[in-house]
Amino acid sequence: MKAVGASTPRYDGISAVTGRSMFVDDVRPVGLLHVKVLRSAQHSARIARLDTAAAAAMPGVRGVITAADVPRLVVGALEAQGIPGDEPLLALDEVRYLGQPIVAVAAETEAAARAAVAAIDIELQPREPFLDIRLALDPDQPRITPEGNRFHYEKHVERRVRRGDVERAFEQADVIVQGVYRPAAIEHAPVETQAAVAIPEPDGRITIHSTTQALYYSMSIVAEHLKVPLGRLKFVGGQVGGGFGGKVDTPCESVAALLALRTGRPVKYAFTREEEMLCSSVRAAWHIEIADAVTSDGWILGRRTLTLHDAGAYSRLSPYGTNKHTFHMGGAYTIPNVAFNSYVVWTNRVPSSSMRGFGVTSASFAIETHMERIASVLGMDSWELRLRNATRTGDISPTGVRLPDPSAVATLRGAADAAGVRLEGAYGAMTDARGPGEHIPEHLLPAIARLQVGA
Amino acid sequence: MRLIVNGVEREDLRSAPMTPLLDVLREELGIMSPKPGCRAGGCGACTVLVNGEPRRSCLLPLAATDGAQITTAEGLGTPGDLAPIQRAFLDGYASQCGYCTSGMMLAAQALIARRGPGVTRDEIAESLSGHICRCTGYVNILAAVAAAAAETSSSNEPAAEATG
Amino acid sequence: MARHRGTGLAAIEYPTGMNQAGDPSQVWIKLKPDGHVDVFTGTCDLGQGSRTVHAQIAADTIGVPYDWVTLDNSNTDSSPLCTGTFASRGIFVGGNAIRRAAVKAREALLDVAGEMMEVDPADLTGEEGFVWPLGVPAKKMSVSEVALAATWTYGRMITGQAAYMKPFSAPDPDTGECEPHYALSYGVCVADVEVCDETGDVQVRKLVQVYDVGRAINPSLVAGQIHGGAMMGLGLALLEESYPDYPGVEHRGGEFGSYVVPSPLELPAMEDRVLENPSADGPFGAKAIGEMASNAQPPAIVNAIHDAVGVWITELPAKPERVLRALRERAEPVRRGKRVVFDEALSVRATSSLDGAGWLLIDD
Repeated sequence: MKAVGASTPRYDGISAVTGRSMFVDDVRPVGLLHVKVLRSAQHSARIARLDTAAAAAMPGVRGVITAADVPRLVVGALEAQGIPGDEPLLALDEVRYLGQPIVAVAAETEAAARAAVAAIDIELQPREPFLDIRLALDPDQPRITPEGNRFHYEKHVERRVRRGDVERAFEQADVIVQGVYRPAAIEHAPVETQAAVAIPEPDGRITIHSTTQALYYSMSIVAEHLKVPLGRLKFVGGQVGGGFGGKVDTPCESVAALLALRTGRPVKYAFTREEEMLCSSVRAAWHIEIADAVTSDGWILGRRTLTLHDAGAYSRLSPYGTNKHTFHMGGAYTIPNVAFNSYVVWTNRVPSSSMRGFGVTSASFAIETHMERIASVLGMDSWELRLRNATRTGDISPTGVRLPDPSAVATLRGAADAAGVRLEGAYGAMTDARGPGEHIPEHLLPAIARLQVGA
Repeated sequence: MRLIVNGVEREDLRSAPMTPLLDVLREELGIMSPKPGCRAGGCGACTVLVNGEPRRSCLLPLAATDGAQITTAEGLGTPGDLAPIQRAFLDGYASQCGYCTSGMMLAAQALIARRGPGVTRDEIAESLSGHICRCTGYVNILAAVAAAAAETSSSNEPAAEATG
Repeated sequence: MARHRGTGLAAIEYPTGMNQAGDPSQVWIKLKPDGHVDVFTGTCDLGQGSRTVHAQIAADTIGVPYDWVTLDNSNTDSSPLCTGTFASRGIFVGGNAIRRAAVKAREALLDVAGEMMEVDPADLTGEEGFVWPLGVPAKKMSVSEVALAATWTYGRMITGQAAYMKPFSAPDPDTGECEPHYALSYGVCVADVEVCDETGDVQVRKLVQVYDVGRAINPSLVAGQIHGGAMMGLGLALLEESYPDYPGVEHRGGEFGSYVVPSPLELPAMEDRVLENPSADGPFGAKAIGEMASNAQPPAIVNAIHDAVGVWITELPAKPERVLRALRERAEPVRRGKRVVFDEALSVRATSSLDGAGWLLIDD
C-alpha cells in the first residue's frame, strides 16, 4: 500500500497552478448567446400583467421564455423521496421572493439581453410579505400558501423524534435550563458563481456544462422540466469553483437548455456576483429552543427541543435538512429521554437550501452553547459536563441506532491535551467505552450498551 | 491597441478601448486563467500583473493598459518548468478548487519581487487581504508564499516563519 | 476600554453520507493494454480533492502506482451515477464504489496473471505495478505484461464495476426512529478569543481542533478541509449574515465588501489533530471531514466570548453591535422554581399572538 495514507500530489494540482483548470465560464462555443433574467422586484406579489413582445423584438434578442414555455413547470428537489415540488422554474402568476426569476432572454450580447429584460412590460401587485417564522400561525400574518406557512411532513406537521419518558425526566430534574438559539442565514459565496452553458447538438441531444455539485441529480431535474429522457442530455462538469452546498439547486441549467432548444444556438446563463449574493439559495436561518432536564451533579436526564427552520419561499431541500437537524439534536451525548419537534416554515425571502453541515450546523451551535449555559448554571467545569454525558460505545442514539464507534471522549481528551487543559480524576481516565467498574446512573440504563455480566 | 501578454506581442486588438482587460484576455485572446469572480474588484480572482504590478483586470479598461506587459498564470511557468510560486502552491496544497489560485499567485509573485525573502507572514496576509479564498482558509496559501519567498535568496536563509 | 481574553469549547458529531441514505455512487474501471488504469466516477470535485482520494483508493486496491491512474469525472455519457458531492459522502460512499470496482478489476487482473503463471489467482499477491505468487517475489510479473497479454493473447478486458449504497431508511413519523447515517465522526474545537468591551470587536486568537476522520486517506487534503472549514465557521460566528436586521428582509448587499467573508487577516493560529478511529464500513476505515470542519467554531467562539466578558450571544453572527448590546443589557435568565430560562423574549411563546398555540413548545 503506497497511496492510501500518503499526501499524494493533488490530481488536478498542476492544472490549477498553471491556470489551466477549465470552469464552466471558460467554455466558449461558437455562436454563444447570453441569458439575462427578469427577476421580481417585490418580496411577494401577484403578477397582474406580463408582456414580453417588446423585449422579443429588441435588437440581438434570439429567444424569450416564460412559465408557459416550460414543459413541466414545477419539479420538486425531493420528488424521489415522495415530497412534491412547489416551485416553478419561472414564475407563473405570483412571485414569492425578491429576485425570483420570471422571464429569461437569450441575446447576442449580455448588453442586448439586459436591454431586452428592461423592456419587458410587467405589472406586479405587491402583497405584504411574511417574514418572521415564529408568527407562522398568527391570524393577522400573510399566508404563503392557501394552506398556511408551514410544510407538513407525512403524518404530523412537524418532524418528531421521541425516545424514553421525557415527562418523567423533567419531573426528576433538579434544574431545567432553557435557551433560544438563532444562527443567521448566510451565503455560500464561492468565488465561482453558478453557471450553465447549454449546447444543442446536431443529433438532437443537448450538452450542458454545469457548475453543479451533482451531475446526475441536475440532469434529472433538467430532464423533468424538459420532459425528455436522460439520454437526450449530456452533463459536463466535475470541476467546480467551490460549492459548499450552494450548487445543488440547479437554477441555470433548465433555462439554458430551453433557450438552447428554442434558438438552436449555444446559450450561457451565468449568475453575476450580485445574483449569486442576492438571488441564489442561502443557508437557512434557524430558531432553536432547548430545554434540558439536568441533575445538580451534571447528568442530562432529558431534552426537549423546538426548531423552526426558515425555508424561504419554497421548500427545495428544507424538509430533508430539517430531518437531519432533528435526528442530531442529541449532539455528542447520550440523553435517554428526548422529545424533538421541528417545523419547516416558509417566508417571503430567497429559498434556503443545503450548505456545509446542513441542519447539523445549527444543531451543534444550539447544543454546544446550551451545554455551556448548563455548566454555568450548575457551576460545573465545561469539560467535565461534556465528558460525563458523552456518548459511549454501544449507546443508543435518539433515533434508535446503537452506535458502534463513537469518539466523543477521545476527541475531548485530545483537545484538552492540545489546549493544555488538565482533566482531573476520573475524567482524565475516561475512554469511549464504559469501564466495567463504572457507576451507571439508573436513568441511563435504557440507552446504553448491554453490560457484561460479572465484568 | 496593443499588449504584450506573457511575452507575446498582441497588436491590433479589436476590443473597444473601454473593454475591461479581463474580457480582452478571456474573450479576444483566449487566456482563461484570470477569473470573473465578482467583476467589481472585490475578490481578486481577476488579478493580473500589469508591468509587474498586480491589478484587478475586471476594473481596468484596455485603454489604460495600451502597450503594457501583462503577466497571467500561464506566463509564470509551464508544467515542465514551474515558477517557484507555482511549485510552492503545488507542493503546499495551496489550491483546492483553483478558482482564486491564479490571482493569488500573481499577487504573491509581485509581493515577493518587491520584498524578497525577508517578507513576513503579516506582510503576506496584509498584501493578500483583498483576495478571497473560500476553500483553503488561507493557511496553506500564506505558507506557500513564504516558502516561495525564501527560495528567492541565493544563500540558504531559513524560510520566513509561517505559523498555522 | 479593555480587551478581555476568553476560552470556549464545543464538542460535536457529524454524520457521514446522505441523511437517511438511499444515495448510490457507481464506478467503472478499465485497464489499458499497458496496465494503466482508467477510473470513471460521477463524483464532482468541488476542490476538496475527491478526484485525488478516489485515485489513491483505486491505485492501492488494484496494486498499481498512484500515477498510473487516470480519473474521469467529467461527464454523464462515460461516467456512471453518483448522487452528488454533499452530505460528506464523497469518500465513504463514492470511495466505497471505487474500492469495490477496483477489487473486481484486481480480480480480473489476477485471473489473467494466474493463467499466465499457472498459479491459482488466490495464491497471487502484488502491489505497485507487479504481481507475484505468495512468498515468491522473484517470480514477479509486471501488471503491464499481464494487461498486454489480456488484450492480445487472451482477448479479454480487465475491468471492474460496482455501486455502493446503504438502503433508504424512512423515519417513523411518530418517533423518528431510523438509521440516518453510514458512520459518525466526532470533533472538538477550543477557541481563544479577545473581546474589546468598547467596540464589541471579537478577535479569534487561536483555534485548537481535533477530529476523528476514521482514516485520513490523504492527510494534506484532510488538513485543507480543517483549515477551510475553520474559516467558514469563523465567518458564520462573527462576520457573515445575509439579513442584518433578520427577520427584516433587507439584504447585506450583492458584493464582496457589503457581504463580509473571512480574509487572511482574520486567520487565527491553528493547532489541529486528526484521530483515526476507523469506521467498520468505510474505504480503509474512512469516515468524513468536509462538513464537520465548519460546525464547531461558532459555539466554541460564543462560549469563549462568554468566558471573556460574561455575556451570551445566541443570535449569530456575534457582530460588534450584538456584543455591545449584550454588554449593556447584561441580561440574566428568568428563574421560576427549578426552571432557568434564557432568552425568554425571543421564544415562539413570547412572540406569537396565540401564546404559542399550535406549536409543540418546550415548556408546555
